[in-house]
Amino acid sequence: MLLFAIWVLFPLYFTVTSSFMTPAEVGRVPFHWVPERPTLANYSAILRGDSTPFSDDAGGGVVASSTNAVERLMPAMGRSVIVGLVVVFINLVVGGAAAYAFSRYPFRGAKIAYLGLLASRVVPAIAIVSPFFVFFRKTELLNTAPALIISYLVFTLPLAIWLLKSYFDSVPKELEEAAMLDGASRLKCLISIVLPLARPGLIAAGLLVFLEAWSEFFYALVLTNELTAPPVVAGLQNLQQFSWTTLAAASIFSLIPPVLIAVLFQRYIVSGLARGSVR
Amino acid sequence: MPPQADTAAAAGRTATASSPRPSKPARTRAQKRSRRAAADRRFGLYLALPALVVVLGLIAWPAIQTLIYSLQRVALNGDTRWVGFRNFELLFKNPDFIHSLWLTAVYAIAFLVVSTGLGLAFALLLNEQFRGRFLARTLLIVPWACPWVIAGIIWKWFADGDVGALNGALYQLGVIDEYKAWLSSDTGALIISVLAAAWRQASFAALLFLAGLQTIPHELPEAAKVDGATAWQRFRLITLPWLKPVIVVVIVINVIFGFMQFDVIYALTQGGPGNATEVLSIFLYQQLFVYTNVGMGSAVAVVLGVVALLIGLLFVKLLYRSGDVTEGVS
Repeated sequence: MLLFAIWVLFPLYFTVTSSFMTPAEVGRVPFHWVPERPTLANYSAILRGDSTPFSDDAGGGVVASSTNAVERLMPAMGRSVIVGLVVVFINLVVGGAAAYAFSRYPFRGAKIAYLGLLASRVVPAIAIVSPFFVFFRKTELLNTAPALIISYLVFTLPLAIWLLKSYFDSVPKELEEAAMLDGASRLKCLISIVLPLARPGLIAAGLLVFLEAWSEFFYALVLTNELTAPPVVAGLQNLQQFSWTTLAAASIFSLIPPVLIAVLFQRYIVSGLARGSVR
Repeated sequence: MPPQADTAAAAGRTATASSPRPSKPARTRAQKRSRRAAADRRFGLYLALPALVVVLGLIAWPAIQTLIYSLQRVALNGDTRWVGFRNFELLFKNPDFIHSLWLTAVYAIAFLVVSTGLGLAFALLLNEQFRGRFLARTLLIVPWACPWVIAGIIWKWFADGDVGALNGALYQLGVIDEYKAWLSSDTGALIISVLAAAWRQASFAALLFLAGLQTIPHELPEAAKVDGATAWQRFRLITLPWLKPVIVVVIVINVIFGFMQFDVIYALTQGGPGNATEVLSIFLYQQLFVYTNVGMGSAVAVVLGVVALLIGLLFVKLLYRSGDVTEGVS
């Protein structure tokens, strides 16, 4: 139990306490486990877009190119949310329709298509990045949100279809049959019977897709110039004279949305994970 | 515990991968039925079409294009020239690539062992009744929600030679007499990069194992206990076989994640010191975006993709093979 708590908490605890310290305090020996005089300077620096809140005690050197890097974090988080929401929306509509088709109306070749879909989950997104890069360069979509939205479908859509199919499969189809005898069309069945019943599945799939999109780093790194939050935070590391304490605060900012989502919607997420993987 | 998770895992145990539902119920006349079935199929196709187009366009096409690039020299201005298997030839003669290949295998295996082992231990722990179990489970989900790259950043500073808490703790416990720059030694950097990635992934493994553990009927271990089975026997004879499908899935997912790991290593070391942590994904990144060698980078990508597919095939084989799987893979 102790090992568990240490393993999970220690790195996080260190990040949280660091974010309330000054750079001078965090480097002190022996190590300070609790900030002596907790400061919010790191957080306010990020909100203000100031990359050197402690320039006095960090040595007071002249900071060139790094001045506006911190400013990018908040807008990038906003863009992360937008990209994530659009990706979720496309996944639920396009992926949901396909999942329902696979679950209820197997068309000719459905089985092969479905197997192909499963196989595509194994293809690593990293391995197929170069065509995207070349294509987006040609179409001048590099460094735009659409480039990310399009490329994020690579790893989210198969996941969403897989997950949603398993939820649709668990909705008893007798309900639809009864409705159809009453003269409801296929589309009406889907919209007014199946979708409400499969709501936990839609929520779980939406949350998992959003978290994946939020966390994505590789495509964001190579296809954009720090458009979303993860590459911005990673980019801060490369700055000269940028202190860990402020970086810690930036990391915390970027952690708040996914951790909040995961903790609040634990039930849906665990159920979705269990379904998405154990099949 | 959510009821959905229970039924979900239970369903996963019994259902086969894809069992298309039989089409709509029988009508009175055969002709009407066949027309209806055809309409059903059409409806299904229309629904699935957008997704199929997207998957073909976004996965199949780039995969084929990558294969083509790997047989070409691609100039920055877009001019391409066929070079056959020259890229692969050069690649396998390149000691850096061979080094990277081995390193990736070592990394993936170490990552697999640490994240799966810790995940199983945590799941068994959190499956017991104790005070604060709910809180502990909530904590468990936090590392999983942490983006890989952020996990890398946190661990980079956690293990830092000047400010890191790892040094602080070890120093105060008397394990080390001076602060060490863990990430500047070859093995240190490798170990930290495995730990950082496993930090996140152990949570994922534990969440899945926990969902699996909760589907074990209470009577099973209790009856065994009455019959005098020891805790170890109960674990080996009841828990492990029951968890087998979940274990196989987690192992496969972890191997693949280990092979593809980029974010954590990029944030921690960018492949350094030297090329001590330059795994395939980092090597690929450098070929493509540092040396802008699209042909060579694509050749690396093909190798990476083939490895992933092989692991995937292994997964299918293991999952559908009868007999005891856990013995063979643990």
